[in-house]
Amino acid sequence: MISLGIDVGSLFTKAVLLDDDQMLASAMRETTGNISGEMEEFINEVASRGGVSRQNIEVCVSAGQGEDLVEQADFSEDTVVCIAMASRHLLPESELAVDVGGQSITTVISDTEGEVANFMHNDKCASGSGRFIEVISSALGVNMNDIDEIAEKAQKTIPVSTQCAVFAESEIVSYVNQGEAVPDLIAAVCEAVARMVVSQALRFGNIKNYTVTGGVGRISAVVNVLEKRLQGNYYSFPIDPRLAVAYGASLLGQMEE
Amino acid sequence: MLYGGIDVGSLSAQAVIIKDNVIYSNYSMRVKPRPVDSAATVLEEALKEKGLSLKDLAFCVSTGYGREQIQKEGLSGENMSEISCHGKGAHWVLPQVRTIIDIGGQDAKVIKVDENGELVNFVMNDKCAAGTGRFLDVMSKTLGVSVDELAPLSLKSRQTVEMSSRCSIFCETEVHHYLQRGASLADVAAGINYAMAERVMALVRRVGIEKEITMSGGVAKNSAVRKELEKLMQTRMVTYKVDTQIVGALGAALFARKLGEVKSL
Repeated sequence: MISLGIDVGSLFTKAVLLDDDQMLASAMRETTGNISGEMEEFINEVASRGGVSRQNIEVCVSAGQGEDLVEQADFSEDTVVCIAMASRHLLPESELAVDVGGQSITTVISDTEGEVANFMHNDKCASGSGRFIEVISSALGVNMNDIDEIAEKAQKTIPVSTQCAVFAESEIVSYVNQGEAVPDLIAAVCEAVARMVVSQALRFGNIKNYTVTGGVGRISAVVNVLEKRLQGNYYSFPIDPRLAVAYGASLLGQMEE
Repeated sequence: MLYGGIDVGSLSAQAVIIKDNVIYSNYSMRVKPRPVDSAATVLEEALKEKGLSLKDLAFCVSTGYGREQIQKEGLSGENMSEISCHGKGAHWVLPQVRTIIDIGGQDAKVIKVDENGELVNFVMNDKCAAGTGRFLDVMSKTLGVSVDELAPLSLKSRQTVEMSSRCSIFCETEVHHYLQRGASLADVAAGINYAMAERVMALVRRVGIEKEITMSGGVAKNSAVRKELEKLMQTRMVTYKVDTQIVGALGAALFARKLGEVKSL
């Protein structure tokens, strides 16, 4: 059975096309003001990548902040439910998924069936989210894609004392004025983000096995700190971690019939 | 006798010189990177206006950022918390004041004082930019206007836009969305001012309202925020006769007089 999951996030819209268990294709584009109008073209794009025709898609499930913008969807699923399903399906041992998205941090505990057992969601404050890294790296003139490469060159640890993204930006700028090096500051930002994510994850007590999803899951400089600070075993998400919600939505589409 | 008070904030620094219970001289400036340098310059400028120098001061008190360092460097003889100084300064200007809402560039405080201007209670937010002057700073940049234009601009508003986020970073995105959808600058400015007043109100609620109420710090200069806050509190605030930004430095100068008089006994 062919199912399509579409996750309309705050910054990017993602799609995952599945044929039963097998991932046929995925696609990603920026969430524009006209994402609803672009949706049909986006669906055609992922279908042709997967080598199927548009009519062969049997079920379409939307999720994310803009789930209502997908008119083509048969139904919508909560992102928390999608994250739980995707992480348990791909990593049966992982009981906790930490999803760090563009504007939110979500931690989800799931049971072995992939059902949500408990979760926590912060979308009120940019602290620790992808936006936090984006704001500060742009203040430093660093492209988001180069973060890992630059952080590797760090020579020393610089503490970031503020949680608020606005205040942290000023703090970092004042470090620049004091002559601190950009790699040290990028590493400091990654450390700060990891610390904020850990503090949310630890509210569930000690966890044995966990994975990291969302855009920040691709930044090793953050994930490495998470690994150090969280007890338990880290499982690397086997597909692009930004696709987790769309993957989960697609899986849930398969189950619905 | 002349007494001095220095208040170094996150964005601006102030010095006040008092003589015989009147404000003899005062000076305000943008801060320098090091609080000690700001303190030295702002005090020197306030003295220079009356042709004075540091040795003419009987005593001086520092407050705000780097207040201890400023004392160590010999610019002041003592340092006091900005909370106490604001209470003291506000009480001197308006003895009937009991609640002082002080919104600075990087923090927000609600201070309660008794009939003698002594501190009773306070709440403070310095963790989150929402509800501080920085929020207006960030928002006005997003709108492409100066922070002083926010209040006059909002007077022309016909329909205040609603800001649904609390976080300044997320509000920035919201402002962009409103402008893209064709909302007028005036309506967005009104939404920003209202959001600001709402955050301040959340802080005010935590200590309660006791009359008379007054507002100090840079944000007090935004008349639209004041008006929205008065609506939320369902009561009027009283206004100072002096520049709201110098109240902390004034309080420091008043403490300097108190301490100086004790020391000269």
